[in-house]
Amino acid sequence: MALLSRRLLQSLFVIAGVTVITFITLHLGGDPTYLYVSERASEAEISATRAKLGFDQPLGVQYLRFAEGLVHGDLGDSLIYRTPAIGVVLERFPATLELTFCAMLIALALGIPLGVLAALNHGRPLDGGIMLLALLGQSIPSFWLGLLLILSAGLKFRWLPISGRVPLLEPLFAGDFAVAWSNLPHALPYLAMPSLTIAFFSMARTARLVRSSMLEVLSQDYIRTARSKGLSNYRVIVHHALRNAWLPVITMLGLEFGFLLSGVVVVETVFSWPGVGRLVFNAINHRDIPLVQASVIMFSLVFVSLNLAVDLLYARLDPRIRLR
Amino acid sequence: MTEPATTPRSIRPNSMSGKGGLRGGAARLIMALISLSLLGTSLLCGAPAPSQAQAQAQAQAQAQAQAQAQARAQAPRTLRIGLAVDVDTLDPAELDAQESENIAHLLWGTLYKTSSDGKLDPYFAQSSSLSADGRAYTFKLRPDLKCEDGTPLNARDAAYSFEHPADPAMKFTGHAAGFVLPALQYTGVHVDDPLTITVKFKAYNPIALGLLSEMFIFCRAPYEAMSREQAATHVSASGPYRLVEWRHDDHVLLERNRNYSLPAPMYERVLFRIIPEGSTRTAELIAGNVDIITNVTPDQIDAINDTDTAKVESVASIRRIYIGFNQKDKFSATPGGKAIRDPKVRRALQFAVDVPTLCDALLRTPCRRAATMIFPPNDHTGISADPYDPDRAERLLDEAGYRRGAGGVRFEITLQTPRGRYPNDVNMALAIAQYLGDIGVNTKVEVLDFASAFVPLIRKHDAGPMFLSGTSGASWSALYDMSDFPSPDGGANYTNFADPEFFAGWKKLEQTRDPAEQASIIRAMMTVFHERGTWLQLYFLPDMYGVSNKISWQPRADQLISLD
Repeated sequence: MALLSRRLLQSLFVIAGVTVITFITLHLGGDPTYLYVSERASEAEISATRAKLGFDQPLGVQYLRFAEGLVHGDLGDSLIYRTPAIGVVLERFPATLELTFCAMLIALALGIPLGVLAALNHGRPLDGGIMLLALLGQSIPSFWLGLLLILSAGLKFRWLPISGRVPLLEPLFAGDFAVAWSNLPHALPYLAMPSLTIAFFSMARTARLVRSSMLEVLSQDYIRTARSKGLSNYRVIVHHALRNAWLPVITMLGLEFGFLLSGVVVVETVFSWPGVGRLVFNAINHRDIPLVQASVIMFSLVFVSLNLAVDLLYARLDPRIRLR
Repeated sequence: MTEPATTPRSIRPNSMSGKGGLRGGAARLIMALISLSLLGTSLLCGAPAPSQAQAQAQAQAQAQAQAQAQARAQAPRTLRIGLAVDVDTLDPAELDAQESENIAHLLWGTLYKTSSDGKLDPYFAQSSSLSADGRAYTFKLRPDLKCEDGTPLNARDAAYSFEHPADPAMKFTGHAAGFVLPALQYTGVHVDDPLTITVKFKAYNPIALGLLSEMFIFCRAPYEAMSREQAATHVSASGPYRLVEWRHDDHVLLERNRNYSLPAPMYERVLFRIIPEGSTRTAELIAGNVDIITNVTPDQIDAINDTDTAKVESVASIRRIYIGFNQKDKFSATPGGKAIRDPKVRRALQFAVDVPTLCDALLRTPCRRAATMIFPPNDHTGISADPYDPDRAERLLDEAGYRRGAGGVRFEITLQTPRGRYPNDVNMALAIAQYLGDIGVNTKVEVLDFASAFVPLIRKHDAGPMFLSGTSGASWSALYDMSDFPSPDGGANYTNFADPEFFAGWKKLEQTRDPAEQASIIRAMMTVFHERGTWLQLYFLPDMYGVSNKISWQPRADQLISLD
């Protein structure tokens, strides 16, 4: 309980820090009013718009207003969409969540077996091949991989749709399971290329981590003992080695989800995926301050919550954490 | 180099397309039957034989009707357009961005409508008249207009279309409230009778009709019933299409408005897909998943033209790209800032830049060279663009007292440019700096982020001493194009140009409504502007669209995606 309270308090500080940094960074670029007036607007018209948007107030006052709104769940109206910013972000959030979860599943489904295989074949060609793949995964920029997939699987072979999305989570959240189920076969082809693009980087990192973790565990005495007891290879690897190799992987999962969330900014743009990443990109280009703030706070909430969950899970798995 | 012609926009199915042959044949059969029945009726009724001219006119009209019917029959039922940017709002009182305006023109009508060749034609208004003092426009509405729900659209609705955006309590900041109404010096609107309204202004404005044609006419009852938030996404149309669905950042789907009383549009549905990445838009076009894409970048031109499924259509747009010479006092402290205060130096720099080569190399398309700030079809000044003549540039600089010094350098200057605002803007600035370097003007290029750095600077008239920029004009009026310079401290006078001879022209224009006299004053003003070298004139930005070979569509200079 003490650990939970301490971590909750730390999370609150982190989110407060994020709001301050975001607010200051966004206001460093000067007065954004000019982006919301016509090219031919006079100084009087610009001043009137500045007052309408509240940019005529001192920065401290603007921040306090923002913080007060935040407490009440009001992050102001998006300057682009002229509707509450938090509503705009929440509307896009299911698309990003869908993509990130799918990417995470692919990354884990491919990364863990590849890491185990590499560890078990340490120093052999298979290990080298997997590590080369991991190197590629961490070196290829996601936008480039995305475009390659579009040109090959989308345009040349016409296996998959090039861009767009069929909603899956929205009907699910709305309780419309029948619609979600009927959308599923149509949604998966649209999900394939963008989630694979995001997953490639994460898969590479997972494979490397699992490999090194497994190598470390495999050299432990208790593994030698297990083998000497005559246990099967499968039992030694799955029940003894992999179980202990999990801890660093679980620690990484929370961070990985955060990395995947940040990775969607580029991939959502390449694949015209209507999620929060693209929204942030667009909002930054237009200096839509309320919208960027709402998106960043949303991202930081997810990131902090996941890390909190991972910490608690970690404490559950490793008693030493609770004792500290 | 050849200049792209500003062809009338039209969208019609390509006769070369193999699709729709049966429907085309059916249409031809119907037209033939109609023609035969008309001929039979005329014979039976003993109508007098038409004269040769009448017969020709009839034949022409029939051919046109036949072509239209054929086009309609062959057109795909859904037109799919790939846009680079999503719509921001669909509240007719708050619209601002070009993408939203493109869709808005399909959803709502306007009193007058700009044709592809820049003419203002009656649309929802049948006629208009200007009051004797020039401070009021009276519009007679068409009697057959309807709202989306089928109720009649009358003068009260048209008046509300002005009153609502002008309402200060609503705090609208879009194009209507933020630009059109202040520019008109709008004072109010009066309902004269159920089909007549009078819009009033503080002073006579020679471009009032064009500005008024930018106001969308919408129905009062549905918008009074909606909150501002609802109005941003819930459309009650008055134009040829109605909104079916708008999924943010994904697509906007429109379908034909059955209650639209004017000629029905060609397509049953129009799907706007939001595809922000240029390469992805190109791939979707080549794959045949969209029919038109906007914002084709120079590097994608060959990729599209090399296929047999689509081609690139380019048009010189109304956006003028130029290098501004900021003459603000604060720049005098720098050698370059001081030098460009001399008109001779500014003219010299104009002769130093080979604009056609820049277009060919960096935009990969010929572009329409700018001679003045006026869009060429409306430019009757007779002023020609300065040719590339580096020797003359060097002579002028020598005469101005800026001789080559140590290392061949005459003076140093900074050229500021936004990044990613215009096609290849940074490379364009670097190439211009190279040309200026060739004549001894050592130019340092400063690249700025558009939204956070360049816009605040230029809007405060503080960009410079040289800056690359582009401002939009209009296809319907030379005076609109000149309104960048309403006064020395005018909103878009980013160069702080303050020549009294030029600005005296505005006073003269206020005192005349004679077109010939107006043209003469405009010519004099433009001559001053040109000779003083206020801008280093580059080109009218070529707008490039990818168009599927299944359809034939021509882009417009005013960046409007028209489906007329």
